[in-house]
Amino acid sequence: MSELTLLVLRLAFLAVLWLFVFAVVYALRTDLFGQRTRRMPQEQAAAASPFPTAQAAPEPVVPAARPAPAAAAPPRNSSAPGAPSDARRLVITSGAKEGMELELSTDQLTIGRSGESGLVIRDDYTSTHHARLMHWDTGWVIQDLDSTNGTYLDGQRVVLPTPVPLNTPVKIGTTTFELRR
Amino acid sequence: MRPVTDTTAPVATERGTSPRQPITQTIRIRLREPARARNIELVLLLLAIVVAVGAIVLVQLGVNGRTDDGMILLASLPPALALLIHVALRVVARDADPFLVPIGTALNGLGIAMIYRIGLADGAEGWDNSGVRQIVWTLLAMVAALATILVLRNHRVLLRYRFIAMFVGIGLLLLPMLPFFEAVNGARVWIQIGPFNFQPGELAKIALAVFFAGYLVTARDSLSLVGRRVLGLRLPRARDLGPILVVFAASMAVLVFQRDLGTSLLYFGLFLVMIYVATGRASWIVLGLVLFFGGAIVASQTLEYVNGRFTAWLSPFDPALYDERGGSYQLVQGLFGLGNGGLVGSGLGEGRPDLTPLAESDYIMSAMGEELGLVGVFAILALYLLMVSRGFRIGFTGQDDFGRLLGVGLSFVIALQVFIVIGGVTRVIPLTGLTTPFLAAGGSSLLANWIIVAILLRLSDSVRSAPRLVVE
Repeated sequence: MSELTLLVLRLAFLAVLWLFVFAVVYALRTDLFGQRTRRMPQEQAAAASPFPTAQAAPEPVVPAARPAPAAAAPPRNSSAPGAPSDARRLVITSGAKEGMELELSTDQLTIGRSGESGLVIRDDYTSTHHARLMHWDTGWVIQDLDSTNGTYLDGQRVVLPTPVPLNTPVKIGTTTFELRR
Repeated sequence: MRPVTDTTAPVATERGTSPRQPITQTIRIRLREPARARNIELVLLLLAIVVAVGAIVLVQLGVNGRTDDGMILLASLPPALALLIHVALRVVARDADPFLVPIGTALNGLGIAMIYRIGLADGAEGWDNSGVRQIVWTLLAMVAALATILVLRNHRVLLRYRFIAMFVGIGLLLLPMLPFFEAVNGARVWIQIGPFNFQPGELAKIALAVFFAGYLVTARDSLSLVGRRVLGLRLPRARDLGPILVVFAASMAVLVFQRDLGTSLLYFGLFLVMIYVATGRASWIVLGLVLFFGGAIVASQTLEYVNGRFTAWLSPFDPALYDERGGSYQLVQGLFGLGNGGLVGSGLGEGRPDLTPLAESDYIMSAMGEELGLVGVFAILALYLLMVSRGFRIGFTGQDDFGRLLGVGLSFVIALQVFIVIGGVTRVIPLTGLTTPFLAAGGSSLLANWIIVAILLRLSDSVRSAPRLVVE
């Protein structure tokens, strides 16, 4: 084994060691520990009441992509197909945790009183497994899981899995939330 | 995929349900999601295995100029077992943290290579080489971690056994004080059973972390809410001082009777951080630091061995002290080794780390610095940093207070231990004998640290399956 080969090998070893360190750091960057919630600043939380203007909501993800007028247009019949919603956030607009928001991934989000749910709502009107939000090809769809007190999309009780347009209130128990881009 | 115009019906049919039927009949609430964390872990683990096995190969090339297949095979057993842990995690804890096992495997592999290398320099082959023994201990430690993961399905069970944990911890601490165990290098922290040296204090730190977490969960209200304000600090009531005084007395007893500065610092620091995390009051830190530094100053004046450590720390290059028995010879040799390593080191197997006494245990970091250089040492420190940050993260996102405290406590133990040892070797603080986690030779340390990793894995698994937002 020549001196040169050994030199190359030992530098390569240090490179591999650092490659490992950077691989961990890289994976840490992409794999943030679950999804985090954050509280909106107070004035924005106040503006986030049932039908906010698109400008009032902070849009850190895609500032260019404003909600299309069709998507933002208020009342809709809940049974009619809404515009495809590629919402990224779920914002609680009224209830105990008003102003909290949750980043949506493409996984489904279960909602209910059970601790296994992704979004746990503990009040007297929520069922153990109350509803779930699913991400279908066309966007987010809410499905009521035979809850006692029902899930209301824009004031209409949800019977079938129904697409959830952007900025439309969904009411479960005493909590209302909306999907935002 | 074909375009879908009607949003509800076709998609529903695709999923095998008629659009008109209530969907509730066919849903399964818990869907299996792909084990993303485990896939990350697999990739990182393969890289870690390259590091571990590469280190052994380089050591053999550096020392002998040729490779020894038997030893390489033996050294690949711990990585193989790490893969087995990975598979077990896929089944029982899919959402556990994906970084702990690869980092542990890499550090452990580096340690094995260096210990084997120092053994080779001393002309030891086979079982006489402490590197081979280190491999066996690693295998045992990994099996213990695997068993912990499989048996401990829910960390809250530990809360029930907090007082048993306290007695086990104290018992393990006191065990080396029994008259038929002899002091090693002046410290009574070892027990010798047949050919094996065991340091029960290493395992005691897990038991004590469990006890502290359990105790603080129940007692923290009285520790954090009451008390009177003095100079902007809310001081605790006199009657609430009991526990901190007991722990302080215990750590001082370790210092005086077992003559082990490092262990005493470790336990007291652990308690201090856990009580601070539980109560969020800086007065505990102030109080604890005053107590500890007061005790340390008194000890340095009265206890001869502590005094010796202090003078060796302050003036190691004094020739009289260098030549003195028990003086600064080891410390200075370690510093020379680090200096000899320079930026990229002499290369594995090509330096003389064996000149430093105890290079395979307390001084493994200076051996690493000599052969891997500053670049390698920083990589190792970065790995420790990442591991500890993962532990804190697990503690931070934990759902129940006991789990949070336990996660913070266990990862802080690793951080503090790394600081105490490496700080001692690099002359940041007075040298105290502790093992470098995962790297240094010593079965008890490996066992304890792999069990800590297993508990952290369990904690992180329960974190990830927890709700993302709770409204109440």
